[in-house]
Amino acid sequence: MTTPKALLGVAALLVALQATAHHSGAMFDDRKSLTLIGTVKTFQWTNPHCWIQVLAPGPQGPVEWSVEMGSPSQLIRGGWKPRSLKVGESIRITIHPMRDGSNGGLYMSATRADGTPIAVPVTNGSVAAASGNPQ
Amino acid sequence: MFSRRFAPILFLTVLVPSVHGASNSAARVRAFASLPDWSGVWLSAAWPLEVSGRVPGGEAQLKEMLQLIRPPPYNATWQARYDEAMKDTAALAARSATFKACTRSFPALMEGPWVFQVVVLPEETLLVFESNQVRHVYTDGRAHPPDDEIWPTRLGDSVGRWEGDTLIIDTIARKQEPVAPRAWASTLSERAHFTERLRMIDPSQLEDRLTIEDPIALAHPWHITLTFKRVAGVNRAIEYDCAENDRNPVVDGKLVITPP
Repeated sequence: MTTPKALLGVAALLVALQATAHHSGAMFDDRKSLTLIGTVKTFQWTNPHCWIQVLAPGPQGPVEWSVEMGSPSQLIRGGWKPRSLKVGESIRITIHPMRDGSNGGLYMSATRADGTPIAVPVTNGSVAAASGNPQ
Repeated sequence: MFSRRFAPILFLTVLVPSVHGASNSAARVRAFASLPDWSGVWLSAAWPLEVSGRVPGGEAQLKEMLQLIRPPPYNATWQARYDEAMKDTAALAARSATFKACTRSFPALMEGPWVFQVVVLPEETLLVFESNQVRHVYTDGRAHPPDDEIWPTRLGDSVGRWEGDTLIIDTIARKQEPVAPRAWASTLSERAHFTERLRMIDPSQLEDRLTIEDPIALAHPWHITLTFKRVAGVNRAIEYDCAENDRNPVVDGKLVITPP
């Protein structure tokens, strides 16, 4: 592989610019998807964004990538928890990379190294129970 | 003997609630019981956010869904001003590429990406947003403050009344600024008057029929219907401190990512 374990895939995505809740998404190149296979350095469960710092092999050794996610509120709705990831855990994560070429991007999807999902989104079926509303 | 010994206790038992207001009056209990139950957590239907913090279809989906970014029905004078602003595509593009929003003004707050709860009380209804913004809608019969006691603010001043299970909200004194993020050329005057009809249309949806009138800027009333979905899997408000770990500063006119 010319880019070890960093699989660059240009996806023919039909969406226009990304749009996040907190800021413009123009910094991310939505025409490209990049899959990183590496280990979790840190998982920041913070506002306004959660971040996964991923160490992925590069030509001269491990390279740190910053992967931007939504807020804790948005992650919880997606089934994530503050300790969904452990430091040192192997992860496969796909991002829309930064347009400026820096080592970062917007989270698209992720699985554990063995392919199992990290989180299961909450379904509408749990609405009544979760809200405590009898309706 | 009995009455003499227990008289102080009886006195305190009767007096304490009335002195400290520890219990609701029967009238307030009845008033509360007559109000609808809008408990739960709600989110604008225009913002089905994913774990990434974005909507599935990106900006294209938002442009289709968001109603406040559509051209307002301006009168000729304000239309000319709007058209002129829309010609400056470079400035609009730069603003769109670098904008950040931790709070929103009304009415954009009602079509924003933050979940909210509705607290219905006899005296007022509070719309408590994840962005730490609160709309107070007073329903105790009060009027807006007089002219010499009111000034434009980002959320304006709201009073309301109930028509059955529909809350009619009347808002004035909104500070002049773009109607919503992405609608950088759309403004309203500080004479803008907002009327909302907020109701539950089914157990999983609230509807807000918003009418905007502005004798200075609009040729006719602007009608918008906003819908809110009950959020699954969330049973409490989650703190949103926008300054906690903001790693997206604007550098040289571009948003970047800074190291942790």
